[in-house]
Amino acid sequence: MTHPSESILALYAGGDLGWLARRRTERHLARCGECRGEVQGFLAVTDNLIQSNALPVIPWSRMAAEMRANIRLGLAAGECVRSEPLSGPLAWMSNVRTLAACASIFAVVVAGTFLERPSPPSPPVAARTGAILRATADGIELNQGGETLSLLHARTGEVTYSAGAQGSMRAGYVDSDTGNVTINDVYVQ
Amino acid sequence: MSSKIAVLIVAGLSVLCAQEPPLDNSVKINLPADSPLTLISANLGESHVSQRGSAVVLDLDMALTLHNSSMNRVRGVTLLVAAQEVTPGGKASVAVPSLDVAPNQNFPVRINLRLLRPAQMSGGPLVQVSLDGVLFQDYSFYGPDRLDSRRTMTAWEMEAQRDRKYFKSILAAHGMEGLKHAMLETLSRQAERPRLDVQVSRGSVVSSAALPEHNVHFAFLHFPGAPVEPLEGWAEIAGNEARNPRIDVRNLSSRQVRYVEIGWIVTDRQGNQFMAASVPASGPGFNLKAGSTSRVLQDTALRFSKSGGGQVSIAGMTGFVGQVEFADGKVWIPERAALANAQLLGIMAPSPEEQRLMDLYRKKGPKALADELNKF
Repeated sequence: MTHPSESILALYAGGDLGWLARRRTERHLARCGECRGEVQGFLAVTDNLIQSNALPVIPWSRMAAEMRANIRLGLAAGECVRSEPLSGPLAWMSNVRTLAACASIFAVVVAGTFLERPSPPSPPVAARTGAILRATADGIELNQGGETLSLLHARTGEVTYSAGAQGSMRAGYVDSDTGNVTINDVYVQ
Repeated sequence: MSSKIAVLIVAGLSVLCAQEPPLDNSVKINLPADSPLTLISANLGESHVSQRGSAVVLDLDMALTLHNSSMNRVRGVTLLVAAQEVTPGGKASVAVPSLDVAPNQNFPVRINLRLLRPAQMSGGPLVQVSLDGVLFQDYSFYGPDRLDSRRTMTAWEMEAQRDRKYFKSILAAHGMEGLKHAMLETLSRQAERPRLDVQVSRGSVVSSAALPEHNVHFAFLHFPGAPVEPLEGWAEIAGNEARNPRIDVRNLSSRQVRYVEIGWIVTDRQGNQFMAASVPASGPGFNLKAGSTSRVLQDTALRFSKSGGGQVSIAGMTGFVGQVEFADGKVWIPERAALANAQLLGIMAPSPEEQRLMDLYRKKGPKALADELNKF
């Protein structure tokens, strides 16, 4: 007797086999105690997982049916809105690649114009709120309203940082080019 | 064909947009006419200004060569770096302590800076570098001292003398082997020093305001001979954030004190101790007469996290007097033995001079270190 594979039995236990395969497996299980035991084992494991909240209960068959229905609906909607193909002098407009190229050029020209035009002045000092000082991988950074000032410690090994509660941050290091200790401080007020 | 034209247009516009604004007028260096230091050269190396969208980015990699035109040996220099439009009311500085520059000698100062700000702001240089102060061998000082450089550099110079004296005494008592042993111990202590990432914020940037807040009181370490003693203090703690530290101090000396700095150590729930910050006395108005009591307070928020990530849950705080400046400009710092006895050497960052000596030992060995110590 040829037994169904383990994966078929697992799919059967989960209720995920198609109609024909399920009928065939049921016929086999009716006369094979060994495979019935396998299926019982899969069911027990699934039950345990569900009880322990380790496995969500997902109705795969229903989800598959819903997905198929949605796809059909989408195709039908596409058919409804499809217009007749253009002909004559406007036929070139139907070329999707040409449209994409024109859109790209337009976007680039708009972006270029935007970048080159004068920006509005920055908000007055009083309108800015919240300044943050922090140590980064390569220095100390003061960030205020998105504008930043960083003092960096290039060409160095060990860096020691210290903070001042009055609103300051300090980095001390030995510059490997000059051999001098250098202390960078950034203050916020 | 049309796609090829589009590619050409994109490439052309990219070239136009990538044009870099000139660097010439971006940096200005001001040294007063009567300055004891003169500017020999300013090498801008690979510095550049670039435009990113509506912002301008200055990457400054500047090597200044300064000349000591005074008759005195220079021990330290502080340069004020100002980008006022980005740091309204704020500023930065680059200081080089532990120098020993003879009259008529040149020495380098390097400034690495990155600035990001809106492109269309008022004209003028992006960054201005000026002299804030020069400290000489005899503790005399020159400069406008806007950043309290006189006190800071005096304290660094006193720490340098203190730490050199310590290593010299070991060299004298135990020779090269003793010096080597002491330096290895220092290196190991610094390698094992627990570190915290601290973020300092002022203004309305507090994200953990929703966390329950409570006051945590400081425990204090007292050093023998300290002219100021801490009495009591606390800070508001919310999660990994500490706000608004307040510490009452008393002047034990017979002299007027104009500056007190309290070292602030935080302890996490596992009992690890970290050097968190220093809490200086607030503002120029601070004035502690002999025998009087005053309060050191700062309205700021410090957010702590462990190096490499992970929040710090603050369980306790310890404070100690780390620096005092008297009205006559004299400065007091703790003795090295006092720091060792309080087991602070393994928590605090090394002094700039100790850092320099460690680097010298690491790169050139004990003989070079001994030669350096014997210079002073």
